[in-house]
Amino acid sequence: MNDVMGIVYTSKDDLTLRELTSQRAVAAIPVAGRYRIIDFTLSSLVNSNIHNVGIIAQKNYHSLMDHLGSGKDWDLHTRNNGLFILPPFLTRENGGEYHGVLDALRANFDYLRRSRQEFVILTNSDYIMNTSFEPMIQQHIKSGADITLMYKKATPEITEFSSSSKNNHCYLNVNEDGVVKDIEINPNAASYDNLYLNVMMIKRTMLMYVVDQVISHGSHDLYADVLRPFINSGALKIMAYEEKGYYRRIETIRGYFNFNMDLLKPGVRDELFGGNPVYTKTRDYIPTIYRGNAKVASSLIADGCVIDGEVENCVLFRGVRVGKGAKIKNSIIMQDGYIEEGVELENVIFDKAVTIRSNSRLIGQKQYPIVIGKNITL
Amino acid sequence: MKKKKCIAMLLAGGQGSRLGLLTKVMAKPAVPFGGKYRIIDFPLSNCTNSNIDTVGVLTQYRPLELNSYIGSGQTWDLDLSYGGVYVLPPYATADSSEWYKGTANAIFQNFAFIEQFDPEYVLVLSGDHIYKMDYNRMLQAHIERNADVTIAVRPVPWEVAPSFGIMNVDENDAIIEFEEKPAQPKSNLASMGVYIFTWDVMKKYLTDDNADPKSKNDFGKNIIPNLLNDKKALFAYAFTDYWKDVGTIASLWEANMDLLKDPPEFDLTDPRWKIYSRTPVMPPHYIAAGAEVTNSMITEGCDIRGKVSDSVLFAGVKVGEGALVEDSVIMPGTVIEPGAVVRRCIVAENCVISKNCQVGEVDGDIALIGQGTTLPEGYVVKAGTQVDTDSIKGKEGA
Repeated sequence: MNDVMGIVYTSKDDLTLRELTSQRAVAAIPVAGRYRIIDFTLSSLVNSNIHNVGIIAQKNYHSLMDHLGSGKDWDLHTRNNGLFILPPFLTRENGGEYHGVLDALRANFDYLRRSRQEFVILTNSDYIMNTSFEPMIQQHIKSGADITLMYKKATPEITEFSSSSKNNHCYLNVNEDGVVKDIEINPNAASYDNLYLNVMMIKRTMLMYVVDQVISHGSHDLYADVLRPFINSGALKIMAYEEKGYYRRIETIRGYFNFNMDLLKPGVRDELFGGNPVYTKTRDYIPTIYRGNAKVASSLIADGCVIDGEVENCVLFRGVRVGKGAKIKNSIIMQDGYIEEGVELENVIFDKAVTIRSNSRLIGQKQYPIVIGKNITL
Repeated sequence: MKKKKCIAMLLAGGQGSRLGLLTKVMAKPAVPFGGKYRIIDFPLSNCTNSNIDTVGVLTQYRPLELNSYIGSGQTWDLDLSYGGVYVLPPYATADSSEWYKGTANAIFQNFAFIEQFDPEYVLVLSGDHIYKMDYNRMLQAHIERNADVTIAVRPVPWEVAPSFGIMNVDENDAIIEFEEKPAQPKSNLASMGVYIFTWDVMKKYLTDDNADPKSKNDFGKNIIPNLLNDKKALFAYAFTDYWKDVGTIASLWEANMDLLKDPPEFDLTDPRWKIYSRTPVMPPHYIAAGAEVTNSMITEGCDIRGKVSDSVLFAGVKVGEGALVEDSVIMPGTVIEPGAVVRRCIVAENCVISKNCQVGEVDGDIALIGQGTTLPEGYVVKAGTQVDTDSIKGKEGA
């Protein structure tokens, strides 16, 4: 077991995801037919032999709690370590809401203090990546860094998703020794192509010290108030680690749509699912049943569906029913969606349990898919 | 210790030799069924759904697969502090060590297990049937009739009755005669291999039976006849829902096909009576452009590029371009390579059906490919034949 704990920060700035986040945290958004975004983060941690994981939940954490349960599906239900959900709470010092990751860490200082691991991996959970943190852990220890930041070369596919939102997009200037020399926070035009992935490794006691110092000086921003001053002053040794695997940040509807469609390419599926398993909450759906009129092509389909219509370039989550004569193209239908007979759909995203009555037609634009919220009947 | 009203003993020791190569490496209850289940999921889920929370699973033949599948029992909510599921293999004592000699002997050897729960009733189950049954109702009937033993029975077609244990009952469902595989059956009520015993009665009869050196220590052959001779209160409990013995290749295939009918002959989707199973974590299945899938069941981890019709595919099965799978059951992890044709066949776990193989035929008996077999390119398997790695080697050597 690694001497590392994980802290997952589930952010709350989610306006660009419209209906998908009206009732849930970004980390709890369903993706890829049977997962939630946080499954990828949690599985990467567990697959890196990290077994003490704290999840900083925000106000809308109900659906996250429901999904995570005791953590047993990720083998995080052990006696000494395991899964700790850290929702905001109200006391004399706490306002019942977290103002950023530093505030959340301060509020959960006891959890940090009680944990026994030497190091912490602090990560957001708004991205899709199935990786092992082991190489970064090894590099961090070997290099003697105080902080190691994970980054990735910013290719158009990655930054495209970010174009309309400017939340915590940091770019790093990394020298030939892997030392971080500068950090740009939310630039309009970045000077560097090293996109920081919001994953850092730091000694637990140092994180506690930093949190205490920064908060007691009235500052709140991890990037502007912690990373930038340390990088600029050179007071701490801040190194960079390059992640080379598949990575997509889910920040906009278009990004969400494109990621799911990306899964219909075999290369992407192999990269995401071909290595370490991605764990998720198990449900007892039966296998999917294809009836006599089914015609399915280039689609990713979860268990429990009953299909008697045409489905092309789609991601169907668990328990979706597609009636006879229905035609669905380039669409994402979440759990328990019911597409009745003769319905025609193109470029739509249906949240959970949407029903669309017989012979209706709903056609969206590829650049701006139609999103229908949870439990709606059309 | 608190008393348990009723605990279950599941007889999972048999080899199930009529399943041929399928049970060469695993016990019958571990055989996969219905895309994501194993046979043992049915009795275990029935127990949990019937509020019977203590189950002893008696294993003997090839127990590894079954033991690792059952694990802590969490899948069926049977991981309890008091109760839960226990795997009970035969064991050695200071003065003896023996295999389970028969169904009754298997339970006799585990009296100590039963006694620690101090139950009033013991439910005896077998691991070779596909059915959904509320054992609690049967227990109510047992209690109401003040029975010593209640035996679940199911009407079967008269022509197959001679292959079952047949119960002859009076107008009150009291059992007056039991005939094991009668040539001329007087009734068509077949024993389902599901018994409820009042524990005191079971204890006495199994103890006496064990002392009888001539006994085969079998419920059907010895215990039930002895109870009838002694005029004990034996009642039949009629069960009329779907129940299928999957003890042969043909019946196992048929039971899988029953799931594909619309509406299905056996419905697994009832939210009030879920069948739980332990499944590997795999991504949703992928159907490629150019694939054709009709009247079939497909589950997680599959990757389909060819044509699949009237078939049940388990987790992680891959069907290559131009391959055809028809009227077949393909168990977990098997790969059907491009251009291969599989018809009326059960292909066991982790096989490779190489390019252009012809397995099974449009008509005739069901073919079977044993676990872990790689068929060489272009290999032909005739209807009704069974093939595994050893038989291919034998053929090449000949």
